Amino acid sequence: MALMRKTGSRRGIFRQPLQSETALSDRTKAYLILQKDSLKASFARIWETPIASSLTILVVAIALALPVSFNALVQNARQPVEALETTSQISLFLKPELSNEVAQKLANKLKQNPALIDASLITKEDGLRELAAYSGFGDALAALNNNPLPAVILLKPKASDADSVSRLLVELKSLSEADKVQFDSEWLQKLQALLAIAQRCVTAFSLLLGFGVLFTVGNTIRLELQNRRDEIAVAQLLGATHRFIRRPFIHSGFWYAFLGAVLAWGLANLLILGVRTPANQLAELYNSPYRLSFVRLTDTGILFASAILLGIAGAWIVVAHFLREIDSE
Amino acid sequence: MIEFKHVTKRYPESGEALADVSFRIERGELTFLTGHSGAGKSTLLRLIPAMERPSRGEIILDGVTVQDLPTRQIPFLRRKLGLIFQDYRLLNDRSVFDNVALPLLITGHNPHEVGRRVRAALDKVGLLKKEKRLPLALSGGEQQRVGIARAIVHKPPVILADEPTGNLDPDLAEEIMRMFREFNDVGVTVLIASHDLSLVRRFSRRTLRLEHGKLIEAG
Repeated sequence: MALMRKTGSRRGIFRQPLQSETALSDRTKAYLILQKDSLKASFARIWETPIASSLTILVVAIALALPVSFNALVQNARQPVEALETTSQISLFLKPELSNEVAQKLANKLKQNPALIDASLITKEDGLRELAAYSGFGDALAALNNNPLPAVILLKPKASDADSVSRLLVELKSLSEADKVQFDSEWLQKLQALLAIAQRCVTAFSLLLGFGVLFTVGNTIRLELQNRRDEIAVAQLLGATHRFIRRPFIHSGFWYAFLGAVLAWGLANLLILGVRTPANQLAELYNSPYRLSFVRLTDTGILFASAILLGIAGAWIVVAHFLREIDSE
Repeated sequence: MIEFKHVTKRYPESGEALADVSFRIERGELTFLTGHSGAGKSTLLRLIPAMERPSRGEIILDGVTVQDLPTRQIPFLRRKLGLIFQDYRLLNDRSVFDNVALPLLITGHNPHEVGRRVRAALDKVGLLKKEKRLPLALSGGEQQRVGIARAIVHKPPVILADEPTGNLDPDLAEEIMRMFREFNDVGVTVLIASHDLSLVRRFSRRTLRLEHGKLIEAG
């Protein structure tokens, strides 16, 4: 034995021969059985104290549901805004004295411009017809002797970022045929800025409430550790390693976080369901095809992964601290 | 198997609990440790599983120097020992079966084997029919026997018992002592601390006697 201590592996010194001589696959199997049993036992313990456990799970769920539902709403708002971005249009009003032929020539020329996807001409007559059809001023317009409308070329820019669009606008304004160039981008930019702020808020909330989850799970585990102090002391006297003592608590942390995440997912979707009807009505009023969608699959994945990670981390930190304390006693 | 070399244990509050204690217990020996309460018996027994570290001297268990062991190796040292306590140290919210199974779960035995070995241990101490009971539903003697079953279930080469008969009437005490002799008969090294001198004499085995932390008789 003294020889083993000098030459043998650091871990194996006190292992029973029975353990070190079993085949690796057997040990892995035994380990997996142990993990599974411990997970089941941890779940049973949570089940045994329904009130205390559900309080923890509820707090975890609320802390998770807030950023998740907030994020889902921001994602929903981004969808139509991004769509707007790609359909942004420049209206080029031509000088009223220009004939339709000149206007058509210009439109054809602009179609060749590499910064533009499309250029379509609305002649003076087209414009008047449209106005008469949609505005309800048909009779009043019919009374006019001559058409007061200018020809308009609708342009779709290739790039939608502010820099390239403003460069394009300057170029269009310098055209001799141009009377006025209109691009309603300011409100879109403001909306995008607002959404960017909202997105940042989601991140900040997620971090903050993530700490909330960490501490909630940690605190619950700390109480469990206090309650089972005697049991831990006995187990240590019987040769329990830190790993053995840690395992059930890590599994408790897993369950609190997992069940909290399930509940949070439900809560977030419930919240979206609540806003869905009026939001969809609004979309219909704007003739928009967008409908509010529930928490997306990737976000669900992120929710569960980060919740479980936080739960396990919270438990781990508290148990590690507890074991250090016991060892120094 | 167990060797103390000039071991001293000093507490900051109460002074020297053990003073320059040296002895050696061979493999397969049954040894008694006697002395008045406060003579240092419990301290001596607590040093072997590294529940405490000596102030000076050396403790060797099965060739391993105990006090030099890093903390994370201590569990593996303790797995070689069967510890029996005067106050039993059972988990009162777990059944007798679960209490006895704990050392096997700690060493990661598979479930089938756990059941078989726990029942074998309970059979040896005569409690096979009470495996589903909670410890507090048992008498003191029965609780101590649960403690003994837990100490032997993983077949340790060494058993350390601190006043195992302290709370029991003489008949029960004698029965428990006979049990230890049976374990010793199959080769287990046994060290029993007891202040019951008449009981110890009746068994006429090697006896270490402590007085005020000093070893005044080493058999």
